[in-house]
Amino acid sequence: MGTTFNKRLLAVWLVLSAITVIYLWIDRSADDRGAPTASTVVTVSAITLALVKVRIIMREFMEVRHAPPLLCRLTDLWVVLMAAALLGMYFVGKAAA
Amino acid sequence: MTTTQTVTAPTEKTPRRVPGESGMWFFVLFESLVFTSYFGVYLYYRAQHEAAFLRAQSHLDLWLGVLGTIALLTSSWSVARCVQTARVGRYRLALRDAALTAGFGAVFLTLKSIEWARQIHMGNTFTSGDFFQYYFFFTAIHCVHLLIGFVALGVLAYQLASPRRRSQEIVETCATYWHTVDFLWVLIFALLYVAR
Repeated sequence: MGTTFNKRLLAVWLVLSAITVIYLWIDRSADDRGAPTASTVVTVSAITLALVKVRIIMREFMEVRHAPPLLCRLTDLWVVLMAAALLGMYFVGKAAA
Repeated sequence: MTTTQTVTAPTEKTPRRVPGESGMWFFVLFESLVFTSYFGVYLYYRAQHEAAFLRAQSHLDLWLGVLGTIALLTSSWSVARCVQTARVGRYRLALRDAALTAGFGAVFLTLKSIEWARQIHMGNTFTSGDFFQYYFFFTAIHCVHLLIGFVALGVLAYQLASPRRRSQEIVETCATYWHTVDFLWVLIFALLYVAR
Protein backbone atom coordinates (compact mmCIF):
# COMPACT_ATOMS: atom_id res chain seq x y z
CA MET A 1 0.00 0.00 0.00
CA GLY A 2 2.82 2.36 0.92
CA THR A 3 4.56 1.75 -2.41
CA THR A 4 1.39 2.61 -4.35
CA PHE A 5 1.07 5.82 -2.40
CA ASN A 6 4.68 6.82 -2.97
CA LYS A 7 4.26 6.26 -6.72
CA ARG A 8 1.28 8.60 -6.67
CA LEU A 9 3.29 11.22 -4.75
CA LEU A 10 6.11 10.89 -7.28
CA ALA A 11 3.62 11.44 -10.13
CA VAL A 12 2.24 14.51 -8.33
CA TRP A 13 5.75 15.94 -7.87
CA LEU A 14 6.54 15.34 -11.56
CA VAL A 15 3.36 17.14 -12.65
CA LEU A 16 4.07 20.10 -10.31
CA SER A 17 7.69 20.34 -11.52
CA ALA A 18 6.61 20.07 -15.17
CA ILE A 19 4.15 22.96 -14.72
CA THR A 20 7.00 24.98 -13.15
CA VAL A 21 9.23 24.31 -16.17
CA ILE A 22 6.37 25.35 -18.52
CA TYR A 23 6.81 28.86 -17.05
CA LEU A 24 10.22 29.07 -18.79
CA TRP A 25 8.54 28.49 -22.16
CA ILE A 26 5.71 30.94 -21.37
CA ASP A 27 8.27 33.55 -20.35
CA ARG A 28 10.34 33.13 -23.53
CA SER A 29 7.24 33.23 -25.76
CA ALA A 30 6.33 36.64 -24.31
CA ASP A 31 9.67 38.27 -25.19
CA ASP A 32 9.92 40.58 -28.17
CA ARG A 33 13.44 39.82 -29.49
CA GLY A 34 14.72 39.45 -25.94
CA ALA A 35 12.93 42.51 -24.60
CA PRO A 36 10.17 41.71 -22.07
CA THR A 37 6.74 42.94 -23.09
CA ALA A 38 3.51 43.24 -21.12
CA SER A 39 1.08 40.42 -21.83
CA THR A 40 -2.36 39.77 -20.38
CA VAL A 41 -2.29 36.19 -21.73
CA VAL A 42 1.00 35.47 -19.91
CA THR A 43 -0.22 37.05 -16.65
CA VAL A 44 -3.54 35.20 -16.69
CA SER A 45 -1.79 31.92 -17.62
CA ALA A 46 0.79 32.39 -14.83
CA ILE A 47 -1.94 32.97 -12.23
CA THR A 48 -4.11 30.10 -13.51
CA LEU A 49 -1.22 27.61 -13.57
CA ALA A 50 -0.15 28.68 -10.05
CA LEU A 51 -3.67 28.11 -8.75
CA VAL A 52 -3.83 24.70 -10.46
CA LYS A 53 -0.59 23.86 -8.61
CA VAL A 54 -2.03 25.13 -5.32
CA ARG A 55 -5.08 22.88 -5.74
CA ILE A 56 -2.90 19.86 -6.59
CA ILE A 57 -0.73 20.52 -3.49
CA MET A 58 -3.84 20.77 -1.31
CA ARG A 59 -5.57 17.70 -2.76
CA GLU A 60 -2.56 15.39 -2.96
CA PHE A 61 0.28 16.51 -0.67
CA MET A 62 -2.01 17.91 2.05
CA GLU A 63 -4.32 14.85 1.71
CA VAL A 64 -7.47 16.93 1.31
CA ARG A 65 -8.84 14.28 -1.07
CA HIS A 66 -9.13 11.95 1.96
CA ALA A 67 -10.62 14.69 4.17
CA PRO A 68 -14.31 15.22 4.95
CA PRO A 69 -16.31 16.79 2.08
CA LEU A 70 -16.53 20.09 4.00
CA LEU A 71 -12.74 20.60 3.87
CA CYS A 72 -12.65 19.49 0.20
CA ARG A 73 -15.31 22.05 -0.72
CA LEU A 74 -13.82 24.76 1.49
CA THR A 75 -10.33 24.45 -0.05
CA ASP A 76 -11.85 24.42 -3.57
CA LEU A 77 -13.87 27.52 -2.69
CA TRP A 78 -10.67 29.17 -1.45
CA VAL A 79 -8.89 28.48 -4.75
CA VAL A 80 -11.84 30.02 -6.63
CA LEU A 81 -11.83 33.01 -4.25
CA MET A 82 -8.08 33.51 -4.81
CA ALA A 83 -8.58 33.29 -8.59
CA ALA A 84 -11.41 35.84 -8.50
CA ALA A 85 -9.44 38.23 -6.27
CA LEU A 86 -6.17 38.02 -8.24
CA LEU A 87 -7.64 38.16 -11.75
CA GLY A 88 -10.24 40.70 -10.62
CA MET A 89 -7.63 43.08 -9.16
CA TYR A 90 -5.43 42.68 -12.24
CA PHE A 91 -8.22 43.57 -14.66
CA VAL A 92 -9.52 46.41 -12.46
CA GLY A 93 -5.95 47.78 -12.41
CA LYS A 94 -5.74 47.51 -16.20
CA ALA A 95 -9.10 49.24 -16.63
CA ALA A 96 -8.03 52.04 -14.27
CA ALA A 97 -4.68 52.52 -16.06
CA MET B 1 -4.54 9.94 19.00
CA THR B 2 -2.50 7.34 20.90
CA THR B 3 1.14 8.21 20.54
CA THR B 4 2.47 4.69 19.85
CA GLN B 5 -0.37 3.57 17.60
CA THR B 6 0.58 2.42 14.13
CA VAL B 7 -1.84 3.87 11.64
CA THR B 8 -2.43 2.93 8.04
CA ALA B 9 -2.30 5.18 5.00
CA PRO B 10 -5.75 6.50 4.06
CA THR B 11 -7.58 4.70 1.27
CA GLU B 12 -11.01 5.13 -0.26
CA LYS B 13 -12.33 2.77 2.46
CA THR B 14 -10.84 4.47 5.55
CA PRO B 15 -13.13 7.03 7.21
CA ARG B 16 -12.55 10.57 6.01
CA ARG B 17 -10.91 12.88 8.56
CA VAL B 18 -9.17 16.22 8.67
CA PRO B 19 -5.37 15.80 8.27
CA GLY B 20 -3.70 17.18 11.41
CA GLU B 21 -5.32 19.60 13.83
CA SER B 22 -8.34 21.60 12.63
CA GLY B 23 -6.76 24.78 14.03
CA MET B 24 -3.93 24.51 11.49
CA TRP B 25 -6.50 24.49 8.67
CA PHE B 26 -8.04 27.73 10.00
CA PHE B 27 -4.51 29.16 9.90
CA VAL B 28 -3.96 27.88 6.33
CA LEU B 29 -7.21 29.46 5.09
CA PHE B 30 -6.55 32.70 6.98
CA GLU B 31 -2.96 33.02 5.71
CA SER B 32 -4.13 32.31 2.15
CA LEU B 33 -6.58 35.20 2.40
CA VAL B 34 -3.97 37.56 3.89
CA PHE B 35 -1.47 36.74 1.12
CA THR B 36 -4.21 36.95 -1.54
CA SER B 37 -4.96 40.50 -0.42
CA TYR B 38 -1.23 41.42 -0.72
CA PHE B 39 -1.09 39.80 -4.17
CA GLY B 40 -4.26 41.60 -5.24
CA VAL B 41 -2.79 44.99 -4.36
CA TYR B 42 0.44 44.07 -6.19
CA LEU B 43 -1.45 43.04 -9.36
CA TYR B 44 -3.58 46.20 -9.25
CA TYR B 45 -0.49 48.46 -9.17
CA ARG B 46 1.42 46.28 -11.61
CA ALA B 47 -1.39 46.56 -14.17
CA GLN B 48 -1.29 50.35 -13.82
CA HIS B 49 2.51 50.67 -14.17
CA GLU B 50 3.36 47.79 -16.49
CA ALA B 51 6.40 49.35 -18.13
CA ALA B 52 8.14 50.23 -14.84
CA PHE B 53 7.37 46.80 -13.34
CA LEU B 54 8.65 45.00 -16.47
CA ARG B 55 11.91 46.99 -16.44
CA ALA B 56 12.56 46.14 -12.79
CA GLN B 57 11.39 42.52 -13.18
CA SER B 58 13.92 41.93 -15.99
CA HIS B 59 16.68 42.02 -13.31
CA LEU B 60 15.35 38.77 -11.81
CA ASP B 61 16.78 35.44 -12.98
CA LEU B 62 13.83 33.19 -13.90
CA TRP B 63 16.04 30.09 -13.79
CA LEU B 64 16.95 30.82 -10.16
CA GLY B 65 13.23 31.17 -9.39
CA VAL B 66 12.43 27.89 -11.16
CA LEU B 67 15.20 26.05 -9.29
CA GLY B 68 14.00 27.46 -5.96
CA THR B 69 10.41 26.47 -6.73
CA ILE B 70 11.43 22.91 -7.64
CA ALA B 71 13.53 22.69 -4.44
CA LEU B 72 10.51 23.72 -2.37
CA LEU B 73 8.15 21.36 -4.28
CA THR B 74 10.64 18.55 -3.62
CA SER B 75 10.65 19.42 0.09
CA SER B 76 6.84 19.23 0.06
CA TRP B 77 7.01 15.83 -1.62
CA SER B 78 9.46 14.67 1.09
CA VAL B 79 7.24 15.79 3.95
CA ALA B 80 4.19 14.17 2.28
CA ARG B 81 6.19 10.90 2.19
CA CYS B 82 7.18 11.48 5.82
CA VAL B 83 3.49 11.64 6.86
CA GLN B 84 2.72 8.42 5.01
CA THR B 85 5.73 6.48 6.28
CA ALA B 86 5.02 7.62 9.87
CA ARG B 87 1.40 6.49 9.42
CA VAL B 88 2.49 2.93 8.60
CA GLY B 89 4.94 2.94 11.53
CA ARG B 90 8.20 3.21 9.54
CA TYR B 91 9.61 5.92 11.78
CA ARG B 92 13.27 5.72 10.73
CA LEU B 93 12.21 6.27 7.13
CA ALA B 94 9.92 9.09 8.25
CA LEU B 95 12.83 10.76 10.06
CA ARG B 96 14.95 10.47 6.91
CA ASP B 97 12.14 12.11 4.89
CA ALA B 98 11.90 14.91 7.49
CA ALA B 99 15.67 15.48 7.15
CA LEU B 100 15.32 15.58 3.33
CA THR B 101 12.51 18.12 3.71
CA ALA B 102 14.74 20.37 5.81
CA GLY B 103 17.60 19.85 3.31
CA PHE B 104 15.53 20.97 0.32
CA GLY B 105 14.17 23.86 2.39
CA ALA B 106 17.79 24.88 3.07
CA VAL B 107 18.55 24.67 -0.69
CA PHE B 108 15.64 27.07 -1.32
CA LEU B 109 16.90 29.42 1.40
CA THR B 110 20.42 29.37 -0.09
CA LEU B 111 19.12 30.18 -3.59
CA LYS B 112 17.02 32.99 -2.15
CA SER B 113 20.04 34.41 -0.27
CA ILE B 114 22.12 34.28 -3.49
CA GLU B 115 19.36 36.15 -5.33
CA TRP B 116 19.01 38.79 -2.60
CA ALA B 117 22.80 39.32 -2.58
CA ARG B 118 22.86 39.67 -6.40
CA GLN B 119 19.99 42.15 -6.43
CA ILE B 120 21.47 44.27 -3.64
CA HIS B 121 24.85 44.16 -5.44
CA MET B 122 23.09 45.46 -8.60
CA GLY B 123 21.63 48.30 -6.53
CA ASN B 124 18.10 46.90 -6.36
CA THR B 125 16.91 47.36 -2.78
CA PHE B 126 13.63 47.87 -0.91
CA THR B 127 13.67 51.55 -1.88
CA SER B 128 14.52 51.00 -5.59
CA GLY B 129 10.94 51.33 -6.80
CA ASP B 130 7.55 49.70 -6.51
CA PHE B 131 8.49 46.33 -8.00
CA PHE B 132 11.45 45.75 -5.70
CA GLN B 133 9.47 46.95 -2.70
CA TYR B 134 6.95 44.17 -3.42
CA TYR B 135 9.73 41.72 -4.29
CA PHE B 136 11.56 42.19 -0.97
CA PHE B 137 8.32 42.32 1.03
CA PHE B 138 6.89 39.09 -0.46
CA THR B 139 10.16 37.14 -0.38
CA ALA B 140 11.05 38.31 3.15
CA ILE B 141 7.65 37.54 4.66
CA HIS B 142 7.74 34.17 2.91
CA CYS B 143 11.20 33.51 4.37
CA VAL B 144 9.88 34.25 7.87
CA HIS B 145 7.21 31.59 7.24
CA LEU B 146 9.91 29.22 5.96
CA LEU B 147 12.01 29.73 9.11
CA ILE B 148 8.93 28.94 11.24
CA GLY B 149 8.57 25.86 8.98
CA PHE B 150 12.03 24.69 10.10
CA VAL B 151 10.81 24.95 13.71
CA ALA B 152 7.74 22.87 12.72
CA LEU B 153 10.06 20.28 11.14
CA GLY B 154 12.05 20.22 14.39
CA VAL B 155 8.83 19.51 16.32
CA LEU B 156 7.97 16.80 13.79
CA ALA B 157 11.41 15.15 14.12
CA TYR B 158 11.22 15.40 17.93
CA GLN B 159 7.86 13.60 17.81
CA LEU B 160 9.19 10.85 15.55
CA ALA B 161 12.44 10.32 17.47
CA SER B 162 10.95 8.60 20.53
CA PRO B 163 8.22 5.92 20.75
CA ARG B 164 6.86 7.74 23.83
CA ARG B 165 6.01 10.87 21.87
CA ARG B 166 4.84 9.73 18.42
CA SER B 167 1.65 11.54 17.51
CA GLN B 168 0.48 11.20 13.92
CA GLU B 169 -1.75 14.23 14.37
CA ILE B 170 1.20 16.50 15.23
CA VAL B 171 3.21 15.08 12.32
CA GLU B 172 0.32 15.89 9.95
CA THR B 173 -0.13 19.35 11.46
CA CYS B 174 3.55 20.25 10.95
CA ALA B 175 3.44 18.85 7.39
CA THR B 176 0.30 20.90 6.62
CA TYR B 177 2.17 24.04 7.69
CA TRP B 178 5.16 23.16 5.49
CA HIS B 179 2.90 22.59 2.45
CA THR B 180 1.32 26.01 3.07
CA VAL B 181 4.77 27.64 2.88
CA ASP B 182 5.24 25.75 -0.40
CA PHE B 183 1.98 26.78 -2.08
CA LEU B 184 2.38 30.41 -0.99
CA TRP B 185 5.75 30.41 -2.77
CA VAL B 186 4.14 28.87 -5.90
CA LEU B 187 1.91 31.97 -6.06
CA ILE B 188 4.72 34.44 -5.25
CA PHE B 189 6.91 32.88 -7.96
CA ALA B 190 4.19 33.18 -10.63
CA LEU B 191 3.43 36.79 -9.72
CA LEU B 192 6.99 38.11 -9.33
CA TYR B 193 8.87 36.14 -11.99
CA VAL B 194 6.37 35.23 -14.71
CA ALA B 195 3.45 37.70 -14.70
CA ARG B 196 3.82 40.32 -17.45
